[in-house]
Amino acid sequence: MYFGRTSFALEYNETTILLNPGIWDGESVVPNDFSARIVIATNQSDDAVGNAATIAVDSKAWFLGNQGTVNKVSEQGAKPWLLHVLQPEIPYEIPDVKITPYSLSRIDEGEGGRIENLGLYIEIGDMKVGYLGDSVVRGPFEQLDMDVLIVPVGGDGVFPVKDAVSLCIDAKPRIGIPMRWSSEEDPKKFSKYVQQFGQGTVPVIMQPNQVLEAYWAAGNEFRYELN
Amino acid sequence: MSENVRKKVVIDLEESEKAQLGGLSELNRIDASGILSVNNVSERSRIWNAKVLLGGTRDATDISIDTLTAGEIDVGGKWYTKYSVDVEAPLISLKEVYNTCGTIETEDPHWAYVIGKENPVKITLSITNETDGEISNIILNKTIPHELSNLEIVSAKSGIAEYDEGTRQVVWKDFVIYPRESSSLIISATGLVEDKNPRKSGDVIITYRAEGQQRSILNPELTALTEFLTGIETAETEPNQWQCTLECSNESDLIVRLENAVIYLTPEGGGEKQIMIEESPGIELEPDQEWTSSFEVESKSTPKCTQDLVYTPVRTVTKRVLGSIEKTPQEIPVYSIDYSKTFDPPSVSSFDKTPVEVTIEVTNNGSARLNEITIEDNLPDDVMPPTSEHITVWIKGEEYTGPYEFVINPDDQDPEKPHKMTFRVEDLSKSGGELEPGESLKINYAVMAWRNRPEKEYPSPITCIANTEPAGIPLVIASPEDGHKLGVIYKKRAISTKKAINKGVGAGEYIVVLVVANNGEVTAENIEITDWIPAGFEYVSTDPEDDAPDVLSVTDGSQMVWTWTRMNPGDKKKIRVTVQGEGEYERREPVVSSI
Repeated sequence: MYFGRTSFALEYNETTILLNPGIWDGESVVPNDFSARIVIATNQSDDAVGNAATIAVDSKAWFLGNQGTVNKVSEQGAKPWLLHVLQPEIPYEIPDVKITPYSLSRIDEGEGGRIENLGLYIEIGDMKVGYLGDSVVRGPFEQLDMDVLIVPVGGDGVFPVKDAVSLCIDAKPRIGIPMRWSSEEDPKKFSKYVQQFGQGTVPVIMQPNQVLEAYWAAGNEFRYELN
Repeated sequence: MSENVRKKVVIDLEESEKAQLGGLSELNRIDASGILSVNNVSERSRIWNAKVLLGGTRDATDISIDTLTAGEIDVGGKWYTKYSVDVEAPLISLKEVYNTCGTIETEDPHWAYVIGKENPVKITLSITNETDGEISNIILNKTIPHELSNLEIVSAKSGIAEYDEGTRQVVWKDFVIYPRESSSLIISATGLVEDKNPRKSGDVIITYRAEGQQRSILNPELTALTEFLTGIETAETEPNQWQCTLECSNESDLIVRLENAVIYLTPEGGGEKQIMIEESPGIELEPDQEWTSSFEVESKSTPKCTQDLVYTPVRTVTKRVLGSIEKTPQEIPVYSIDYSKTFDPPSVSSFDKTPVEVTIEVTNNGSARLNEITIEDNLPDDVMPPTSEHITVWIKGEEYTGPYEFVINPDDQDPEKPHKMTFRVEDLSKSGGELEPGESLKINYAVMAWRNRPEKEYPSPITCIANTEPAGIPLVIASPEDGHKLGVIYKKRAISTKKAINKGVGAGEYIVVLVVANNGEVTAENIEITDWIPAGFEYVSTDPEDDAPDVLSVTDGSQMVWTWTRMNPGDKKKIRVTVQGEGEYERREPVVSSI
């Protein structure tokens, strides 16, 4: 499910993983009463962490992030026993879910320089999802086998459209989903270019509150439906 | 003039027609008028009480009465009246075909010049006699426009045609056209125009004469009096028996027709007059010729007779039509195009993959409508072309969904090969209308700049071709062969490798730490790192395990080789390799290569 910006919820059976419930312009993208089993912020910026602490506390969910992000959420009131620091390339596993973080980075447009952003390789059910969060580099993602790749396209400290497209061309996921666009043209261009040059990747532009259901029909035929 | 004609009163119908044709020889206007004149050709006899009888034949003219009064006409004199006639078309049809590309056979002629090229102009002038009479005294003048040179009279079916360079006139004359027949003149020339302003084909003026023909249906009859002597002679042949003779004599030098002769006798005892002679001889009396008629009657006294005669000078009708047709010059527009081609972004980072929007706009900057446009765009290597279905076309500012052709050669998306893309839209007249002057056709597609090298140039020349309907000489404009270069922004590449050799935990164990970082401004691809293990030592393990190298034996030890497909700016890899052996672990620097 897509909430807008960079906020997604991945669901499989009874497990819900909430990604980057950020706050943008003072507004939470994900409602406080959203119920998740795991909440992950890929970096410590407000547009990634947002109201993660509130959601994690209210739904008694695990919160996962790098050390700086966990510290920030802890300061915001998250219970220490629900916090888990993700280490690069060390998987976090629960039944039906395996999350492997990779150390990527984003440009800190406020302070300058770079801050760490975790790219997530999420194996949930029988789907493999790449989620780059707010990344300006691709790291090892071009070599990962992914069914779905979720990439930023806004160019505001993260991938511009061209790099998002370039990653889709190299990684060849089955579905490429743009997020965090700066203008309405960004996802359209992403879609146009992936369609032309992606060679097997289908671009899917999701609107807030849309749900993409992906599954393997008969165990070997990839299908998806966008409501 | 024959003697008979000299003796008859001449009624002459001289009618004229003046037609104006449009640029494509269509009839725009025709006016016809005439002069009806009564000519007394006598050398010594006047005529008087002359009347011209038209009756119903005055239809189609503006003459409002059936009978015109001409009155008295003296010797050699003339009386006339003017009138106009309603007609629909001239007696001859004139057609000019001004073909700007006479070397290409098409059903319809070409009608526009190509700017800056030699246009093989062919002018065909055809005249058809639409009547059952002969057309003579034909003189045709064709004005030759200044943009034409190398003029030649190719053929004249009849008559003589000559070109006068001083007046720039072709004069065609000295021929007649027989009933329902045609004649034609063919002229060839070279047309050259260097600007887009429309030209004129030059006017055509033809004059002609149709003897014996008329545009009205007037059939005038004449009644008049002239010098004509009549009388009745009464002579007694026996007692109380009388012979009465009517005697007529034409005293004029005109032929006079005696229409009716009636003799009345007044009875001796009174009462109504009796008709004794009633004849309609219809005889035409030559000058001084006499005519008589008589009857006998019994009477004690000299019979009293009276007469009633109708006669008139004989008329003859002469007629002709004098015509002229003026054809307005045809406007000859000029076809000309301009184009623009842009890359967005205009430059790409070296060694990167960047989508680039290519927009090509062809504008009709001439004065002719365009029916087909072809764009040939050449993509250099290191550029991935689009697929044929990913092109957007706008015509006249609106997205175009009609038929077009878009061919990519070779038909693949291999970025290592140059590609030629050909876009062609034809028959615009059937799919949304031709491209009018000032309107444009725009196409857009995206290409993927593919790891372009900064030291290399990427020209993307373009050729645009336009044509009209029917298609004539194509108008071609092209950029230079090295035109429209895709810019490549040089981004520094900097792969740094640092190496440390640390003692391990066990005896003879060393930990070789390699740190590889992309400190440049551009993504590095196909990075290969090679590090040497001295003889006497063996590779044991790598941390992280996923970055285990390929280990190859060499003469003086072994080589560890890592290959990574890509490192983005800022990417860094830290690898810890455990080796074990005996002896001194000699240090050599790792070798890195990439593109």
